[in-house]
Amino acid sequence: MTDYVPMRPGTVTRYVVVESLTITPSELAIRAYEISQGVMIKETCFGLAINGEEQAVDSLIAKLRTMEPDHIFVKDRGFLPGDPRRCRANHGGARPGFHGIEFETAVLPYISHGLTEIRSRPYSDIPLPESPPETKKLDVYKLKKIIEAQEP
Amino acid sequence: MTPPVRIAQLSCGPEYSGVQQEINEAAKSVNGEIFFPDIALKDIIKDFNEFGLDVRSPDLKLAIARAKALVEGRIDADAVFIATCFRCAEAAIVRNELRRYIHTHSKLPVVSYSFTERTTAGTLLTRMEALTTIARRRALLAREVQEGITLGVDSGSSTTKAIVMKDNQIIGTGWQPTTEVLQSARDVIAHALTEARIKREEIDAVGTTGYGRFLVGRDINADLIQEELTVNSKGAVYLADRQHGPATVIDIGGMDNKAISVQDGIPGTFTMGGICAGASGRFLEMTSKRLGVDITELGPLAMKGFSRNVPMNSYCIVFGTQSLVNALAAGSSREDVAAAACHSVAEQVFEQQLQEVDIKEPVIMVGGTSLIEGLVHAMGELLQTKIMVPKHSQYIGAVGSALLASGFIRER
Amino acid sequence: MAKVFIYPATSLILSDLVARYGHTPLSSAIAIRERVQTAGIESAPLQITPEEPKKGLKWAAVEVPSGVRGRMSLYGPMIEECEAAIVINDADLAFGCMGCARTNELIKFLVREKGVPRLDLDYPKSEEEGVQFVAAIKRFLDGLGGGR
Repeated sequence: MTDYVPMRPGTVTRYVVVESLTITPSELAIRAYEISQGVMIKETCFGLAINGEEQAVDSLIAKLRTMEPDHIFVKDRGFLPGDPRRCRANHGGARPGFHGIEFETAVLPYISHGLTEIRSRPYSDIPLPESPPETKKLDVYKLKKIIEAQEP
Repeated sequence: MTPPVRIAQLSCGPEYSGVQQEINEAAKSVNGEIFFPDIALKDIIKDFNEFGLDVRSPDLKLAIARAKALVEGRIDADAVFIATCFRCAEAAIVRNELRRYIHTHSKLPVVSYSFTERTTAGTLLTRMEALTTIARRRALLAREVQEGITLGVDSGSSTTKAIVMKDNQIIGTGWQPTTEVLQSARDVIAHALTEARIKREEIDAVGTTGYGRFLVGRDINADLIQEELTVNSKGAVYLADRQHGPATVIDIGGMDNKAISVQDGIPGTFTMGGICAGASGRFLEMTSKRLGVDITELGPLAMKGFSRNVPMNSYCIVFGTQSLVNALAAGSSREDVAAAACHSVAEQVFEQQLQEVDIKEPVIMVGGTSLIEGLVHAMGELLQTKIMVPKHSQYIGAVGSALLASGFIRER
Repeated sequence: MAKVFIYPATSLILSDLVARYGHTPLSSAIAIRERVQTAGIESAPLQITPEEPKKGLKWAAVEVPSGVRGRMSLYGPMIEECEAAIVINDADLAFGCMGCARTNELIKFLVREKGVPRLDLDYPKSEEEGVQFVAAIKRFLDGLGGGR
């Protein structure tokens, strides 16, 4: 059993994912480097991983977000950027969580669209999405049609 | 240094059970390197759908897709390690099907294991060693004939065995219960050498196997120190003269059991169980003590009895033995009790281990327990086949070691 | 500001939207960070030691596989802590921390049983569904109060 000594305890790491037709991850990185103050930035396959004191990281992210608020997405990460325990370079393959992000990245354009739209459309114009676990009741007119279709 | 053997891991749960580090360490200690086959999401979906086993757990879907990428050669590996949580039915189905799929459609050696949070690198070591040996030492394992004069020592948990071989013949044997590991080894070696009328200096090469293989191997300066899965497979097909084609090797040992599916003398898939004493030779030892017979007499006694006449409520070495004692008290014959004990061990090995390997004929039983006729008979009934027990089967590990050690003579 | 448990707990989309609208997402990363940043015995890669499945006994019995109990040691405390939850029900391709279907069933059940405000959704599959999805989440989060 080996003792474990954590690196940079007390800091946070967040992923910044860009899903945009106008900014590339590397442009985002350049901008981040320009305005970074004492935070660690690493470019990843889908955006940036940023580590530092929570306040510094969040303030940097807030500035980055202004570039294209509806197309930049953020989530927490447990590991430091480039942590050898998670980096695919050390394991032959991506960590399993990568494929989850890979999946959600394909959904991001719809989210971006939603973020933009809800600013200009009143709530009353937007129907609620169907609640997935509830089975919808059969429409009474449809039921009538089915009954009629059964008649000889 | 030779490059590490690349072992592809297909798994669900080890990281969350706290045992991934143990897996990594076990692999590292035998110069293996665990890696996770890299595939894109679209291939995961496609491969999973094509494989057709519609499981719910995403990590099992990933494991299935990774297995497919390995079999189809899209990702290179030397060996495959499949690991899922113990007691997960969904994962057990995937584990079995992937093992079978990889075994049938590729030449990759596979070992599958179901872990708990208590699994340690030590538990995994023998399996990993076998896996890397099969991947790395195919040339060594291809040996079919013993040459020169070689010594093989099997330092097992219950007994220590030694064999001296010369020009493809067994010329000396030694056998005794394991007490002090090194002394037991020295004693059986001395016995085997005397029987063979060979001096220690005349030995061309030495191999060791079994639990004490490292300790004994260092003590007698062995050329080959090798785990018992590959050694016993080699020894079994050699003694049974079934070196080509498929075979299944069953070794019910003192501390653990091995079931190995062999192709041309090389293990393809194997299981090693060692959690329950009730499924081991120890159970039969306890039974023979209770019946007041020597362990060598238990087999013939069992052959005269009917196991069905004795109700066994448990497989456990404690409670199962209690059932036997109760049966005796209720008037059951010693023959029936002996038969029931043999059936109990055979059935437990059958239910818990043989389901994890594909049984192909011939089935060869080896190890000390293969001399217990009643046990072999019970196993044969369960498997519906006539089981082979080759001559010298109790010396299996020592024979395999002596055979493989002759591969080192020219190297000297 | 409410603590909102997100399912899948690895979701970039939910994590982003919850934080964007001024609440605190409770996600896998927080639980992993806690472990990765705590000194102890080395247990790569996640610093989940064999002790964690034992802690998981609080939420799942000993006959439940170790991987479920280990995962529950991450999520159990979060579910206890959460004040609301957003659940995406067709998250069939969230791996790793969300890679075990049995754990996921238990998580969803415990969230439901806790009785906190909960929003159930599917992933949007078109632009229009994207609008409905984001609007539903914003409406839900605004309703919790204390957000931005």
